[in-house]
Amino acid sequence: MTRGLDAYAYLKSPIHRWEVRCKLVSLLALIFAFAFVQQLILLPAMVVVTLIYYGISRLPVAFLLKRLRYPGFFLAAIAILLPFSVGDTVIWQAGFLALRQEGLLALILIITRFLCILTVGLILFGTAPFLTSIKAMRELGLPAVLADMTLLSYRYIEQFGEDLRRMQTAMRLRGFRVNNLSRRNLTVLASLIGSLLVRSYDQSQQVYQAMILRGYGCVPRRRQRFKTHASDLVALVVTCFVAIGFVVAEIVLAS
Amino acid sequence: MHIPDGILPASIIVAGYATTGGVTWYSLRQIKRDRNPQENIPKASLLTAAFFVASWIHIPVPPASVHLILNGLLGTILGYYAFPAILIGLFFQAVMFQHGGLSTLGVNASMFGIPALLAYHLFQLRYKIGKNNRVWTGIFAFLAGAGGLGLSVVLFFILIITNIPANIDATVERNAIYGLVLAHIPLMLIEGAFTAAVALFLMRVKPELLEQ
Repeated sequence: MTRGLDAYAYLKSPIHRWEVRCKLVSLLALIFAFAFVQQLILLPAMVVVTLIYYGISRLPVAFLLKRLRYPGFFLAAIAILLPFSVGDTVIWQAGFLALRQEGLLALILIITRFLCILTVGLILFGTAPFLTSIKAMRELGLPAVLADMTLLSYRYIEQFGEDLRRMQTAMRLRGFRVNNLSRRNLTVLASLIGSLLVRSYDQSQQVYQAMILRGYGCVPRRRQRFKTHASDLVALVVTCFVAIGFVVAEIVLAS
Repeated sequence: MHIPDGILPASIIVAGYATTGGVTWYSLRQIKRDRNPQENIPKASLLTAAFFVASWIHIPVPPASVHLILNGLLGTILGYYAFPAILIGLFFQAVMFQHGGLSTLGVNASMFGIPALLAYHLFQLRYKIGKNNRVWTGIFAFLAGAGGLGLSVVLFFILIITNIPANIDATVERNAIYGLVLAHIPLMLIEGAFTAAVALFLMRVKPELLEQ
């Protein structure tokens, strides 16, 4: 639905067929193992593992590249600052600009970890319908309040986004131009957000009544039926083994 | 201001998840004490979606524009629902837009959520001192909005500067944190003024949204 995150959830690949609860546990373990890595020597293995999983998932490369564009700013700032400001070993100098080895190595570590974790996250949520992933999290023990809030918020994000766009268009048609920071502009924008909140609050009353009519809170929750096959468990064990391998290698290399 | 994947060491990531787990547990326990917690779930969920969408609005701050964080406002309106709301909002940000990250979700949720809870208690102080008129609502909403963002900014820079995996001189580190926090004071004032303006709008149009 929203922003095409699960646009490729319909593809057929071993990762798509992987039972969602097993996939969540395995790939989250891999993400945490990647976050644990500090040794540069482990980075090529991390990249290879990530590429293998992405290859098996059959997600298009364009999907990954499109998603990589979003988080650029913060990382760009670090990429500019770190190699020139951190460390003592100068490896190249031009005037006052000195490229330092420690900063450069820190940057390589940060960027590689970032790319690998982000790619595994995309595989995790890009290979199953988003609602199925949330239901799987519920089955894994996510509290009911959080699961219900996540599902309902997800359902309404798109609609409120459309409401906001419509209200902004109406404001522009009435001559509102937000070019500078002034008290009046801030008050108008505050009213815009206030209206959005009031609309959502009013709608939540109707949603609650509709949910009560459908038996929300009275009828026992129907459990999502996830079927786990032997191949799902094998993939779970293999992935957890890889994740543990990274953690053990990191500890051994660090000591 | 979200901390992306790859920057923080595993110890901080685990500590972030532990803190978020603890505060979420505490928030859910407080929520269950409500007269009718079930009734508030759709309200909190739809307001979470609305806040998520509202953060797309950009405010012109020359020479660029910024989007507001709104965690103080979220705290003032949602009370103990603010922490789960922020956790869910950040989860959506991470998986839909790759702002923040899955490994840093715990750290980011604590960084924005704990100040939101403090903002809620700050906003509720107006009842304690018996001043629930427009002027005091505006003042406390300003303090909640500015304080919510301010505390998040301080936490953000401490986490970033102390955890970049290379040695920075301690004095430089301290000065960098002071400098970057001071540079964000104008944004805190804007966030505070904006929170006050929204609170006053709601007080006029839908006062029940501000009542807990």
